[in-house]
Amino acid sequence: MRVNPNPYSDILAALAQTQQQINSDEQQIASGMSVNLPSDNPAAAADLVQNADQSSQADEFRRSIGSIQGEMQNADSTLNSVITSLQQAISLGVEGANGTVNSADRAAIITQIQGIQSQLLSLANLSYQGNYVFSGTKTQTTPYVVDPNSPSGVTYEGNTGVNSVTLGSHFTLQTNLPGSQLFSSSGTDMFQSIQDLITSLQSGTGIDAAVTEVSNASSSIDAQRVFYGNALNQLTAQQTYLSTETTQLAQQQNTVGGADLTAVISNLTTAQTSVQATLEAVGQTAHTNLFEYLK
Amino acid sequence: MSSLNASLASALSGLIAEQGALAATTNNVANVNTPGYSREHPVLATSDPVVIDPLTFGTGVTLQSIESIRDPILEGQIQQQTQAQGQFSTLTSALQQTQVNFTSSAGDIGTAISNFFDSINQLSTNPSDLSLRQGVLTAAGNVATSFNTTANNLTQQRTSLDLSVVQQVGQINQFTQQIAQLNTQVANLQNAGENAGTFIDQRTQAIDQLSSLVDVSVIPSDNTLTLITANGAPLVIGQQSFQLQTQTNSSGLHDVYSQGKDITTQITSGQLGGTLQARDTQISGIQAQLDTLAAGLANAVNGVQVAGFDLNGKAGTNLFNAPSASGVGAAASLAVAITDPSLLAASSDGTAGSNGNAEAMYALNQQPVINGQSPTDYYSGIVFNVGNEAANAAAEQSASSFILQQLNDQRAAVSGVSLDEEAANLVQYQDAYSASAKVISTISSMMQTIIDMKSS
Repeated sequence: MRVNPNPYSDILAALAQTQQQINSDEQQIASGMSVNLPSDNPAAAADLVQNADQSSQADEFRRSIGSIQGEMQNADSTLNSVITSLQQAISLGVEGANGTVNSADRAAIITQIQGIQSQLLSLANLSYQGNYVFSGTKTQTTPYVVDPNSPSGVTYEGNTGVNSVTLGSHFTLQTNLPGSQLFSSSGTDMFQSIQDLITSLQSGTGIDAAVTEVSNASSSIDAQRVFYGNALNQLTAQQTYLSTETTQLAQQQNTVGGADLTAVISNLTTAQTSVQATLEAVGQTAHTNLFEYLK
Repeated sequence: MSSLNASLASALSGLIAEQGALAATTNNVANVNTPGYSREHPVLATSDPVVIDPLTFGTGVTLQSIESIRDPILEGQIQQQTQAQGQFSTLTSALQQTQVNFTSSAGDIGTAISNFFDSINQLSTNPSDLSLRQGVLTAAGNVATSFNTTANNLTQQRTSLDLSVVQQVGQINQFTQQIAQLNTQVANLQNAGENAGTFIDQRTQAIDQLSSLVDVSVIPSDNTLTLITANGAPLVIGQQSFQLQTQTNSSGLHDVYSQGKDITTQITSGQLGGTLQARDTQISGIQAQLDTLAAGLANAVNGVQVAGFDLNGKAGTNLFNAPSASGVGAAASLAVAITDPSLLAASSDGTAGSNGNAEAMYALNQQPVINGQSPTDYYSGIVFNVGNEAANAAAEQSASSFILQQLNDQRAAVSGVSLDEEAANLVQYQDAYSASAKVISTISSMMQTIIDMKSS
């Protein structure tokens, strides 16, 4: 049978194909990825888009948690200070209720409680990074202002709005409690109770009832502080979860699109050997034909 | 009874025939590297004998013809496969270029969309913060830029493919003209009973090149042939070629016309087929998907934006320029409509600290706002489509290359010049020539013997 007398184009095509394999292997080694263009593996390329989005989200959720943590820790420790101040007021009230206290001492106690009163006002007007923490969603408005016409001595200028922030694909967290709920709920109004304590000490009547009122306000705040404690715990837990998720996503990315370096390097070696063998074979056989042997 | 003169004539016919055969071999050796050349083979036959009762004497050898060795069926298959090869190599190189726009990078659309939603999530933690608001505007600007860049790249690619259409039509016209001329030459030679092998080789070569450009069918007839496209538009009929024309259509691209008829959508193969397919189907399909994504995203974000309140408590306005109702061109024209970060409507109750609307906007990234899919899902679908089309075209191209390689091998096995074979033929013809010459010199000495006989 007659065969193709000029196999050079076949040899060139084979060399070109092997060279393409070598290029692709080298690209995989350089990038560490087996999917460098969508056509390398269309389904994997689409998965990698999703993976990149999820991993970007996870990073973002962690940044957002960081921002929220600062504000909530501040709110939590401020509430702690509020409770401490209220406990002091209670002690002072109990002291003032004692029949043996003279009027000069009682006046001093009243002054101290008035000091606590302005301290509580300043604590409730906590501001964090330009935002009032306890004014609902009216974060640019001072929540409590002194108002001599109000029975409690202050007026709440905030609103009852709360914010929730998405911090995971299935996790949304409420991030604030409005002052109206925390400090000035009807029946457990902190400012009203302190004002009542001062009034009772001034008049000398109903001090015990006023102390109980302050104590109730303190208990109410203490109970609501749990909200911040829980939220902070949840943030920590979510952060841990997101770290794990980030690791998993990176693993998934590697599984879907990572290069199997051992296999790639082995392929590369095979391809290089094949090129060399082809070239040597061609070099040895290509230049002979019958003409050379004719005399 | 035969005569010495008759033997001399026979020997002479041998000399002439071997010389002719040698000429064929020489031509084969000379054309060993000529593309499309088919080796020539001398056809030797015994001359008609003479009968001189009761004996019949041979009268030597005749070189009947020099034949080109070719397999027309194989050549037809090569032309078919060359069309597929032309189509898929054009398509592959176009789609390779297209898919670069969809590889993951800092500026690709998928990353820009992710970053945009991330910036909204960040804003949600502190909705009155101006630097976070600015971050959202910047991210929205990056989304618009990534859509614009990709859409413009695709448009430019279609424009350059359109230029190729015009160039390829020009090349087709050159080849059809050439083939018509070759048809004339082949017909003239064959009508005169001559060997037209060289012109047939050239014509076959030209048809191969034409096949790489367009889907062409060859219909051979006596001494000539007719070329038509797959859908029947005439290219060459006998000695006349029919030019294809291009004409600009309403979208500024060129359509292909034959005899006044628009045949653009009917050209399915060859480089022209591949170019048209990339320009009018594949890339324009991807453009349409990008427009759907851009318009869907802009409309969804705008819808949320106008439902909320900005930093000053006023009702929100569009964040992105409203796309056209049809969405056509949305990716190329996507732009951010506001420059003042306080105009972002993060608030759902009109207060500066509310993040309700920012949350609603963030939630869009998981909602089926683009043809029933989330923005990222839809985008990853585009990446899959682009990759899949490029991979399929590359696979087809590599398959047709392989088949073409095989067919060319087979053709070379039939028609290719083998130097070994030619060397052997050379020796064979040389030996025969020497032998004939020896016969002549022998007859000559026999004649001399007779002449000497008389004069002595």
